[in-house]
Amino acid sequence: MFFHMVLERNMQLHPRYFGPHLHEKLTTKLVKDVEGTCSGKHGFVVAVTKVESIGKGLIREGTGFVTFPVKYQCVVFRPFRGEILEAVVTLVNKMGFFAEAGPVNIFVSNHLIPDDMEFQSGDIPNYTTSDGSVKIQKDSEVRLKIIGVRVDAAEIFCIGTIKDDFLGRN
Amino acid sequence: MTEPFNRLVKLAARAFYDDFTTKGDNQPKTGRSDNRGMAVVVLDALTRRQWVREEDLAKSLKLHTKQLRRTLRFFEEEKLVTRDHRKETAKGAKIFSAAIAAAADGQQVGKEGDEKTKIHTHSYCCLDYAQIYDVVRYRLHRMKKKLKDELDNRNTIQEYICPNCNRRYSAFDAMQLVSMEDEYFHCESCNGELVAESDKLAAEEMGDGDDNSRRRRREKLKDMLQRMEEQLKPLTLQLARVKDLPAPEFGTLQAWEASVNAAGRGGNNNGSATDASKSAQGQGYGGTPMPYIGETKVEVTIFGADVKDEGAETEAATASLKVLPPWMIKQGMNLTKEQRGELRPDAKVDGSEAYRDQSDEKKQEQKQEDVKSLEEEYLTAYYEAYARMLEASKTAQGEAEVSQQSTSSYLNGVSDTNSARQVGMKVKREDDDDGGIEWEEDVATGILNELSIVNDPNAQPDGSGDEDDDIDWEEG
Repeated sequence: MFFHMVLERNMQLHPRYFGPHLHEKLTTKLVKDVEGTCSGKHGFVVAVTKVESIGKGLIREGTGFVTFPVKYQCVVFRPFRGEILEAVVTLVNKMGFFAEAGPVNIFVSNHLIPDDMEFQSGDIPNYTTSDGSVKIQKDSEVRLKIIGVRVDAAEIFCIGTIKDDFLGRN
Repeated sequence: MTEPFNRLVKLAARAFYDDFTTKGDNQPKTGRSDNRGMAVVVLDALTRRQWVREEDLAKSLKLHTKQLRRTLRFFEEEKLVTRDHRKETAKGAKIFSAAIAAAADGQQVGKEGDEKTKIHTHSYCCLDYAQIYDVVRYRLHRMKKKLKDELDNRNTIQEYICPNCNRRYSAFDAMQLVSMEDEYFHCESCNGELVAESDKLAAEEMGDGDDNSRRRRREKLKDMLQRMEEQLKPLTLQLARVKDLPAPEFGTLQAWEASVNAAGRGGNNNGSATDASKSAQGQGYGGTPMPYIGETKVEVTIFGADVKDEGAETEAATASLKVLPPWMIKQGMNLTKEQRGELRPDAKVDGSEAYRDQSDEKKQEQKQEDVKSLEEEYLTAYYEAYARMLEASKTAQGEAEVSQQSTSSYLNGVSDTNSARQVGMKVKREDDDDGGIEWEEDVATGILNELSIVNDPNAQPDGSGDEDDDIDWEEG
């Protein structure tokens, strides 16, 4: 699920950037640093929308770097258990398939794939229904339900299922 | 006190362990050697005992020791039973047997004779009630949880097992496990192919459309859950009953042995005295300082009046140098129960009962000659003191006379005791006299308490020996 929230971060800036456009430089640096990262607590930071405030800089001892506390608004994405997402299949395996929903990787094990879909290896490994109506292969879109979320410090990984109603393809 | 717990153990045994076999299911001959249910028998037997040696248990249950050990090992792993392995000489094992006998009213006779100094490892086991209560509850909880989880579809996170190194992986780890070469997951350490762990409880039905099979699975699970609740109802009820009761606690083997030994000697507080293994010492029964061995230790223990002298046997068991009390000496070694039963002169108030029980034990081992003289000396003093007390209390003058007479007739050549008796005279003892004074008073009260008990048996002495004929026991 997406959230729009205010986060804070301490940015260190090299003295070479000190000058009239200090704040812009700081903002650029922030965006570069933060967008695309993931924290276990908030999820993936998708985009920084606005820099709210930049506090007073503190000169670090020994080096000339200055630390600025920066508050910024951003869009974060965090998957939850029970959530239903659309994802794009990246890898099909005998044990299941891997899909991506934006920055998060989801694994659907074959145990959670409906029984009437069977794995077919070959050039393009895929899962197909017995009548061939539904085929799940690389780059197909599937709707899946998250049943487990594993949150590491900087990594989020999910397990999904397509065994319920309205899940899978179409 | 332990009854509800025993019932709990029995119910749990029958509920969960009635199909326990010691065979590994490899051998198909169930006809001849089907010993299913042995586990239940063992558990039941353990409810009737406290700490018990495994060999003894095997003998009484008529089971092979090895089989019993396997069963007990299984129970130890299930956390129902605690085991203790001790290196003991045969003599040490006797101490234990005596303790058992003490606790079980002489059901077991300690091993006699064998005085080898080889050290064997003896194993003991005991039910651990507190743990059993927890274990049973946990088991029930896990059973219900498993069913409920499946019902809710919670256990859908796949687990993978490596057949080589038995390492378990979750589906979450799938990312790291995916291999480039082929289409299976490989173990991180040994690169073996992982096997998925499937849903055990509700086997899926193929063929039907998803909806039906899923519904059927749910029905099946619900049905299983319901049946489980119903069949385990007596057990759950018993658990509820037992919930607020304190679990019977037997402590470690050492502690239990010690406490039972002390109890046997008439420890003051219902045998909870934690005297160490002074079994070899004449520690004396509750209140009756009987010098059983050369050390004339006068145990000035207060007359507990609740002399549980079952443990008297411990003394006999442990101290082969036990000495017969004076009145017994004369009658020779072969003392029967009967003899000892009656021979409860009022002087030996509390000890008499002890002796009655002890009669079963090896009196024969006692070497009287060694300590006879010491004994007589002591007993002289004792009788004097006793008689004095009686006089002082003036409640049982008759006994005093009787005791006087008995004293004179019993003791060899100690006829001067009569004359020496005076009120207030210090008792001749080998211990400090200070303790003696208190002792006398206490003994007096104790004796008074016990008199009623003692009187009756004393009233009819049957052919206990020559000396008895000389004495006219008079009712006080």
